[in-house]
Amino acid sequence: MAIKALLIDLPRCTGCRGCQVACKQEYKRQAEKTTFFGGPGYQNPADLSAQTWCLVTYNEVLINGRYDWVFGKRQCMHCTVPGCASACPVSALEKLESGPVVYHKNKCIGCRYCMLACPFVIPRFEYETWNPYITKCTMCGARQAAGGIPACAKACPTGAITFGERDALVREAEQRIASNPGKYIHHIYGLEEAGGTCVLHISSVPFEKLGYVMRVPRSPMVAHTEPAMKAVPMVMLGLAAVLGGTYALRTRKQRNNQSGGGAGSHS
Amino acid sequence: MGLSVLNVRLGIGTLLLALVAFTGGALALYRFLAGIGAVSNLNQGYPWGFWIGFDVLAGIALAAGGFVVAGAMHMFGGEKYHPLVRPTILTAFLGYLLFIGALLVDLGRPWTIWHMMIYWHHESPMFEVGWCVMMYTTILFLEFLPVVFERFRLDRWYAIWMNVAPWIAIALLTLFASAMTQSMAWVLAIGGVLVAFEVLVRLGVIYRDPRMPTLLLMAGIIFSTLHQSSLGSLFLIVPHKLNAIWYSPILPLFFFVSAVAAGVAMVIVESTASAWYFGREVEVHLLEDVGHVLTWAIFGTLALRAADLVLRGIGTELLVLSPQSVAFWIEALVGLLIPLAILLTPEFAASGRWLLVSSLMVIAGLLINRMNVAIVGITSTYGATYYPHWMEWAITAGIVAAGVLAYLFICSNFPVFTPAHHRTKQA
Repeated sequence: MAIKALLIDLPRCTGCRGCQVACKQEYKRQAEKTTFFGGPGYQNPADLSAQTWCLVTYNEVLINGRYDWVFGKRQCMHCTVPGCASACPVSALEKLESGPVVYHKNKCIGCRYCMLACPFVIPRFEYETWNPYITKCTMCGARQAAGGIPACAKACPTGAITFGERDALVREAEQRIASNPGKYIHHIYGLEEAGGTCVLHISSVPFEKLGYVMRVPRSPMVAHTEPAMKAVPMVMLGLAAVLGGTYALRTRKQRNNQSGGGAGSHS
Repeated sequence: MGLSVLNVRLGIGTLLLALVAFTGGALALYRFLAGIGAVSNLNQGYPWGFWIGFDVLAGIALAAGGFVVAGAMHMFGGEKYHPLVRPTILTAFLGYLLFIGALLVDLGRPWTIWHMMIYWHHESPMFEVGWCVMMYTTILFLEFLPVVFERFRLDRWYAIWMNVAPWIAIALLTLFASAMTQSMAWVLAIGGVLVAFEVLVRLGVIYRDPRMPTLLLMAGIIFSTLHQSSLGSLFLIVPHKLNAIWYSPILPLFFFVSAVAAGVAMVIVESTASAWYFGREVEVHLLEDVGHVLTWAIFGTLALRAADLVLRGIGTELLVLSPQSVAFWIEALVGLLIPLAILLTPEFAASGRWLLVSSLMVIAGLLINRMNVAIVGITSTYGATYYPHWMEWAITAGIVAAGVLAYLFICSNFPVFTPAHHRTKQA
């Protein structure tokens, strides 16, 4: 099966937040009480949370000497090799072949290692309940399996969110950048970040001005833990052999006494 | 002598400990009703905080004395350390039980902790740490059993234990190997070496230690080595969040060597403290030797850390004034440089008091190091900040207090400091 992806064309976004509302409806997430906050105060709510998995960010950016609103989108990036899924000790997070990174709530033990591992700060934890789960965007894995498209892509009125095969969307993004000089910066966010993701963003201004996380390694997160984990069986075998050998050599004399005296041999 | 409960002397100290333990327990209960957010400042940007840094990372490292002393003594022939083996195994066992208790508070869904046993995911360092701790706690329990057998004069059980324990150790190690590799070749290789060793012991080709099955100690060393280092591996997955001062590809190695140093320091502190509490004489000459081991362990940690910082080109970061660089220098001075200077001064190295001071500094340095890796060195995005809530401190304090009380109870009722020790000393 071809791996599916979303292409977020930020210059096409009008900040209507239709995607945000569609996501809340689809997953029956509660509304949040919010307050007007300084700076990008029109953004609502301020951040992703256990209730908000999809968020349009409002950013004031200086363009040609005047400030303008530029919108960004925050949601799970659905990494090709996701750090959260590598980190999870009980495989509660799983990368589907079709693209989505989904969460099996029945397996989760609540250790929050996925939150630490995710470079995009996406998994959110329900801190306020005795029976908490991790929550995050599922790229509407269930809708996809039923032949549909993600709710946010379906809701977007301006074509800022396109759903399709990842390879085709990468070509499409490159083509849009190439054929509209000046409209886009030359960066597909998600093409290489964390080893590549299934949500690709293109923008008219540098992504750091939209609050995107820029300190993201280019390699999959698992590449950093893999060498240490690969060493585990080698350490086991090596220690077993070395400890056993050292002990046998060191106690040669005592062994001779033990078998010579005959006292300990039948213990 | 005043009042005592279960043979534990009642004094201001023990009553205070009980109060702290009770408060912690009550707050932990509140956490299970109202959620982690109600008692902690953990947030979406800082999913891990004080509990992970102190209870998990530091707590487990401080319990390393159990495997270092037992291992050094039985495996490498440090016979003179025998009087220290039982108390350190007890501390380690209690330490791990406490750590599991603390983990239940920190885990969001602790009643599902057994999922680790059925949903295998050997790519995850967390999976390995979880399994190691499970296995090693079982091993420590087995290592502590002789004390119970002696207390209740269960000689037959002691003999059965001597016979069966090695096979349990082999079973745990091979099960662990299969969970970590899911490869028959590795299981056969590791299992083969272990079984061969035990068979040779039974055939009389290899000496049979009459006090404790050697395989049990080997299993303890293997599991300890693996998870002491894997606690560092946990943080290999955050190159983007952990400050370069601490983030190194050999972080697991740092965690291991510093745990050995801290474990040894704990042995000194614990021996001194329990000698004082139970009115015994401090085994100064013995502790002096332990001090030499400590010196080498600090030196090893220091050399590795320094070489790593130089090779990775971390120089300016340490000299620029920032919370991280200050935290690093406190850690290095308290945990490595000053105690090393003390231990290398002959007059101090021979003094029980200075040995205690330097050991306490090494322990403090380890605590600071683990806090630095878990909290200070972690930069979260989106302006999230974290400082532990007073209830986080209180719950941890309660757990530690409960541990000290349990230690006093067991030492007052079981032959932890056995007369057998005096025999070996005279021999």
